[in-house]
Amino acid sequence: KLLFSPQLLTGKYRDTQTSITDSSAVYRVSNDKSASVTLIDLPGHESLRLQFLERFKAAARAIVFVVDSVAFQREVKDVAEFLYQVLVDNTVLKNTPALLIACNKQDVTMAKSAKLIQQQLEKELNTLRVTHSAAPTSLDGSATGGPAQLGKKGKDFDFSQLPMKVEFVECSARGSKGEEGDADFEGLEKWLAKIA
Amino acid sequence: ERGGNNSFTHEALTLKYKLDNQFELVFVVGFQKILTLTYVDKLIDDVHKEFRDKYRNEFQQKGTLGLLNGTFDFKDDFMRLLRDAEESSKVRAPTVMKTFEQSLKSQKTVKCMIETRGEKPKEKVKNKKNKGSKKEGTEAVAAPGKASAGDKQSPATGDREELTKDEILQKNREEFFKRHMKAGEKSRSPKPEAQKEKGKKPRVWDLGNSNAKVLDYSNSATNGSAEACPVEEFDPDTALGDRNREPGRLYDLEYESDDEAEEEKVIQNPSKPSAKKGGLGGMFGMLKGLVGSKSLTREDMDPVLEKMKDHLIAKNVAAEIAVQLCESVAKKLEGKVMGTFTTVTSTVKQALQEALVQILQPQRRVDVLRDVMDAQRHRRPYVVTFCGVNGVGKSTNLAKISFWLIENGFSVLIAACDTFRAGAVEQLRTHTRRLNALHPPESHGGRTMVQLYEKGYGKDAAGIAMEAISYARNQGFDVVLVDTAGRMQDNAPLMTALAKLIAVNAPDLVLFVGEALVGNEAVDQLVKFNKALADHSMAQTPRLIDGIVLTKFDTIDDKVGAAISMTYITSKPIVFVGTGQTYCDLRSLNAKAVVAALMKA
Repeated sequence: KLLFSPQLLTGKYRDTQTSITDSSAVYRVSNDKSASVTLIDLPGHESLRLQFLERFKAAARAIVFVVDSVAFQREVKDVAEFLYQVLVDNTVLKNTPALLIACNKQDVTMAKSAKLIQQQLEKELNTLRVTHSAAPTSLDGSATGGPAQLGKKGKDFDFSQLPMKVEFVECSARGSKGEEGDADFEGLEKWLAKIA
Repeated sequence: ERGGNNSFTHEALTLKYKLDNQFELVFVVGFQKILTLTYVDKLIDDVHKEFRDKYRNEFQQKGTLGLLNGTFDFKDDFMRLLRDAEESSKVRAPTVMKTFEQSLKSQKTVKCMIETRGEKPKEKVKNKKNKGSKKEGTEAVAAPGKASAGDKQSPATGDREELTKDEILQKNREEFFKRHMKAGEKSRSPKPEAQKEKGKKPRVWDLGNSNAKVLDYSNSATNGSAEACPVEEFDPDTALGDRNREPGRLYDLEYESDDEAEEEKVIQNPSKPSAKKGGLGGMFGMLKGLVGSKSLTREDMDPVLEKMKDHLIAKNVAAEIAVQLCESVAKKLEGKVMGTFTTVTSTVKQALQEALVQILQPQRRVDVLRDVMDAQRHRRPYVVTFCGVNGVGKSTNLAKISFWLIENGFSVLIAACDTFRAGAVEQLRTHTRRLNALHPPESHGGRTMVQLYEKGYGKDAAGIAMEAISYARNQGFDVVLVDTAGRMQDNAPLMTALAKLIAVNAPDLVLFVGEALVGNEAVDQLVKFNKALADHSMAQTPRLIDGIVLTKFDTIDDKVGAAISMTYITSKPIVFVGTGQTYCDLRSLNAKAVVAALMKA
């Protein structure tokens, strides 16, 4: 995830470390409109992710949710949980920013395709809907899963049921040419150009 | 939020870190654990300063662009700093020894000039007479012990022939001192060492002669604390204001408060000038904070942190946890540049609030239903074990949780592994009956949702648990809830028994049930429970407490500190909160609400 900003901005590869704070930069979309967006990278460590999401969710015009395509099979529950929390958040539901789910690390041979990830996430979120609404209510009376029901009741969860636009894109921050290669960001850049 | 101490050990490496809050940098030094390098702290400070000064420009540009584009060619500087630090540490030790030796030598030469060689035995007699305190002796002997490693005692040989019958006594004394000392006497046989030290002995006692001088030196170094003395003398005189009261009589509250007020006044008087200065400084600090940006220093934060710490303790947070929390907040904020129109208090409060929310926020998923579904898919029962001290509400909350699980369509087997307390099995039987009445088998496809597995009293709890789990697997139950007997954390045999139960049966979830009324005890309970579980488990990664059930939450209105204490100690989430005695009184934790109640004045 941390590779995205430097790659998009400078086209160079950098060694990255696990981050404990956010980092932001301005990105100029490379087309005629010459609009610019600010990219903010949030740390993904489990103890930090919610905290930083809280801080920045109100200002987000669009959210890029990066998924590790290689480790997805193992982590599907955690990924779905976090995505669920992003989706039922009140602020997010109010603003409905465009959502792009970027399936990263496609350069590795074992990476799952975007289609497969989409299917898995839909199934998982379907189950999570049930479990979260069944959880005991919170201390001050507000339900934990939020009164917001994800998608339509009675039907299996589908990303098209969400009030915001969701897209799936495959990308690779490292590039298939090896370690220091250029990133394969076409889909991402196109999407950024669209929303700018 | 756990940033109190700044070192971390992993396998053979120790890591020390230093935060720069102004530019949001972290400096980490890693070194081998076995080497205790004294220059590490100094090195990290130097690196920090150099790096910051050198690349100040890049940091001033906000954002990652500065960091990305700047080339940080720090390697040469770093090597230079490392070399400097190493050399300084090497140089320091010998210089210490040399100065001492020089003082010894100088003293000795002076004495030699005054007294001739023939009078040396007389010195020794004198020295024996003034046997200084053993401590001074050991200190003095320790230093020449170190100096002997330097191998510079040529006069030692000269003195050897002077020694008379005092030799034996001195040898005994040396051996006695040696036993107390730990200074380097590794590869020497005792005799030559003893002889060498004998040779030094006279000089040592010379120093013993001039004890007063040595002591004076140390006193002058601690000049600051000398001021403390007059204050302490002050108290006894005027503290007991009314001397004609009978000692030992219980006085009314008014009297006692007057007493304390007097004491406080007395203590405050000498420190008033400093407090006043501090107060004025604080006021200016506030004004400065209101306008323009200023970086936070420890002194600014200290009064605010003190107040926050007391506030937390008043809200039933364990005392040591409150202290550690305030420490870590101070570390996080030190050096940070405050924006305009923000006071120190508000910054500290906000940082503390964030830290508290982060503590309470579960690090990993807390979704029991999801995990139960997983276990269901694999056709094995999901085992939950409840443990805790006596009377916290294990059986009651077990019943509430089984009710919740049944509501969600899972069948539950309750294992009565409390074979000690009278009526424990009957209590669970009553709960089972009531739950079955609420959810009759007809409404769930003909199967009984709740069943009790019990083997009476006095049997081995671990064995019953194992049988219950295999029974559940055979009968196709989804969840097994294991109820154990309450036990005090200090009771070693019972803790062993609990650890055995958990290690043998490998439950999916180990829940520690703690009541919200507990105060500082929570820390002790959790630490000892975890320790027992870790000690008595044979496996590489022992099963520790996975989650906490906080009970009797309705009895505390907003003194919710126990939640913080428990999650801080274990860093495991609070899975359920019990708020009453009926089946519906089961809640989940809302971190923000709890922190809001905690920070409320």
